[in-house]
Amino acid sequence: MNSIIGYYTTCFGELWDKSLFDLVKESIQGVFKSACIEKRQIDAVFFGNMLAGILENNLHSSSKIAEILKVNIPVFRVESACASGSIAFHLANQYLNSKSGKTVLVIGAEKMTDYPVQEITNALLGALSGEEQAAGLTFPGAYAMMAKAYMKKYGYGEKSLAYVSFKNHFHGSLNKQAHFQKKVTIRNILESPYIADPLKIFDCSPISDGACSLILTSDKSLIKKAKHSVSVLSCETATDTISLKKRKKIYELESTKIAADKAFKKAKLKRKDINVAEVHDCFSIAEILAMEDLGFWKKGKGGKLITYGLTMLGSNSKPIVNTSGGLKSAGHPVGATGVKQIGEIFLQLTNQAQNRQVKNLKYGLAHNIGGSGGTAVVTILGKKS
Amino acid sequence: MSGIVSYGYYIPSFRITIKEIADMWNKKALSIQKSLNMHEKAVSGIDEDSLTMAYESACHALLDVKIKRSKIKALFFGTESPSYAVNPSSTILGDLLGLDNNYLAYDTQFACKAATGAIISSIGLLKSNMAEYVLVCASDKATAKPHDALEYTAASGSVTLLLGKTDIILEIVDFESFSTDTPDFWRREGIRYPSHGGRFTGKPSYFYHIEKSTQSLLKKQKLHPEDFKHAVFHMPNGKYPIQIAQSLGFKKSQIEKSLIVSYLGNSYTASSLMGLMSVLETACEGDLIFLASYGSGAGSDAFVLKVTKNLKKRRKDFKSKLKDKKYINYTTYLKYMNAV
Amino acid sequence: MISPIKLWRRQKEIKDKLGKKGKILTWTVIHISPTAFIKQVPYCVILVEFENGNQAVGQLVNYEKKDMRIGKRVIGILRKLKEVGKEDVIIYGLKFKLI
Repeated sequence: MNSIIGYYTTCFGELWDKSLFDLVKESIQGVFKSACIEKRQIDAVFFGNMLAGILENNLHSSSKIAEILKVNIPVFRVESACASGSIAFHLANQYLNSKSGKTVLVIGAEKMTDYPVQEITNALLGALSGEEQAAGLTFPGAYAMMAKAYMKKYGYGEKSLAYVSFKNHFHGSLNKQAHFQKKVTIRNILESPYIADPLKIFDCSPISDGACSLILTSDKSLIKKAKHSVSVLSCETATDTISLKKRKKIYELESTKIAADKAFKKAKLKRKDINVAEVHDCFSIAEILAMEDLGFWKKGKGGKLITYGLTMLGSNSKPIVNTSGGLKSAGHPVGATGVKQIGEIFLQLTNQAQNRQVKNLKYGLAHNIGGSGGTAVVTILGKKS
Repeated sequence: MSGIVSYGYYIPSFRITIKEIADMWNKKALSIQKSLNMHEKAVSGIDEDSLTMAYESACHALLDVKIKRSKIKALFFGTESPSYAVNPSSTILGDLLGLDNNYLAYDTQFACKAATGAIISSIGLLKSNMAEYVLVCASDKATAKPHDALEYTAASGSVTLLLGKTDIILEIVDFESFSTDTPDFWRREGIRYPSHGGRFTGKPSYFYHIEKSTQSLLKKQKLHPEDFKHAVFHMPNGKYPIQIAQSLGFKKSQIEKSLIVSYLGNSYTASSLMGLMSVLETACEGDLIFLASYGSGAGSDAFVLKVTKNLKKRRKDFKSKLKDKKYINYTTYLKYMNAV
Repeated sequence: MISPIKLWRRQKEIKDKLGKKGKILTWTVIHISPTAFIKQVPYCVILVEFENGNQAVGQLVNYEKKDMRIGKRVIGILRKLKEVGKEDVIIYGLKFKLI
């Protein structure tokens, strides 16, 4: 079994002074320090990033990272829209399982604020199908359609969606690295302007910059020596159609269901074993659907259950969800998110989550989605025994 | 015998009133309405153009005829607001309609008579048996410079006629065409809005050419205005057609049904044909219909048409279709006309 | 600019959806749009299921608030899809109107 022995995240937000690779560099230096690792101990690097090619005409980032690190080791760049970070982690985990190396560096990073919202909206369209793009559908629009269908089918209103952002902003207010560290009220959320009906500005994760890094290793002596370490019990991936129209049910993410079933099976755990989870809330509806598709809540019950605050810090229930503030409040630098989610679980399981700390933890789960559900990665981590 | 086998039309659902435009420019709405004999015009949406409208009218025309698309051997597209300066709309339309590629296609321009000229060419193809069926489309999203007089009248619309020799509903008995070089209205390449000669567009242009083509045809056919049940003239506004009808010896009652400009505006190449659409709603077997188009630059095509027994079973609604309308304000109008 | 060749291929695919009837499966109204659609904002995008079971995504035109309901019947029409550059090929495609 592999273990994470170090994690570092930059702040997420509008980081005007830092370029994409400034952020990458900062996260690499930070994680080496956190894990007490030197670069000569790294056998390969996995880099998750979505937009550097489109926005900055920066391809071949693997070579750029080799330049930053001054190494000649293999560097792999992966892209799966918003799941880029966790796909990088998944491949890193497989790399170790195949004994191609012993210790790897996983980086997730994105620079989005150098460009106006219009250009970012255009770039993110790449995650939708050609037909959806031609119709003028946007990324929030795709989730809005899922929300409309879900709300009609199960009889919920926009208020249910608001509880997701309310909770995640509360959590974000406790996270010094979060993009937004302010609480919001249900009223703020419901009165905010529409982005794509029924999703309002407060239902949508922001455009952020940020980078995170993890050190993953199979080296038993490193794991033993490490100040903090967490076991990777499973990391499973599944895909689904890029087009909404070809999905079996528009308000159900098949990819999440399959990845979750595989991950729980591999980890030999049940849903009720999970104490804390980072779940993909690119839009408020996404968290509700995720809780159902991951198997924590029954299909159709999410709209009601979210309003009970069961998944909020302070509740006696489990799991507590998105203590980092989720994508909504902590920010969503696309390629970094997947790594951040795993990193937050790492912090929780190693008691480093400060005033976001959930008590009596054993197992945590990270759930990362690409696009409108075309890719899903579910990672289950366990406290070092 | 050749003529119209089927017809179709498309009128966009948006309307702007003369008052709305006049108020914008601080002009007296009532006096403009009176002088033009119009109160509103049809406007097409931001995502519509002469091609999308032609597609609608062509589908409408082909809706109730069971002919193999491969029998349509020519498609002529008449417009003065083409989507491209160089690229045929006729082939885009032909492809969308599923014509099999063995057909003649071309776009024509002659201001507002671009399509009626093509009708005459079609008759040649039909009578010589070079084609069994021909589609003629007239379509315009007419533009006018903001604040110009034409702004009150330039409108959107499309008419498509399926011409053939079998099962016709309207026989094209005869025609005449009159052409001169007259600079009454023009638009240079690359220039957005047309220019015109003001009052010169009246007597020496519109009236002169329609008089000539009409008198020529009536003489040829040995017919008189009173022989016709209906008369349709090109409608640049609501006054000119009444005046030309009168000066040629037609009664106001003969052109009443065709005077659609008062509530639809002038859809340029589709103008006179749209008037015909209204007439066909109530025309009876045996009725003679006179139609004269006018195209600036200048020319006029005149036709003697005769209603056959087949119109009764393939007649299409007109007035009732117009009820589906939505009024827009001036800024929305500018947006839809891509002026902002 | 989208490649005109790509557009040419795509245009062939819309022919069999034009004039076809279907019903709305879900919808949204876009308020923040990509650059090329700015002038049309706000606009309604719907997911339609045709009578033959196929599905398509497209804009709904000429709608009122009351028309945006799951289950409403629509028909495929031809419209210009979005704004393009002055020198670009025009993009014609599938939109929907209520019936």
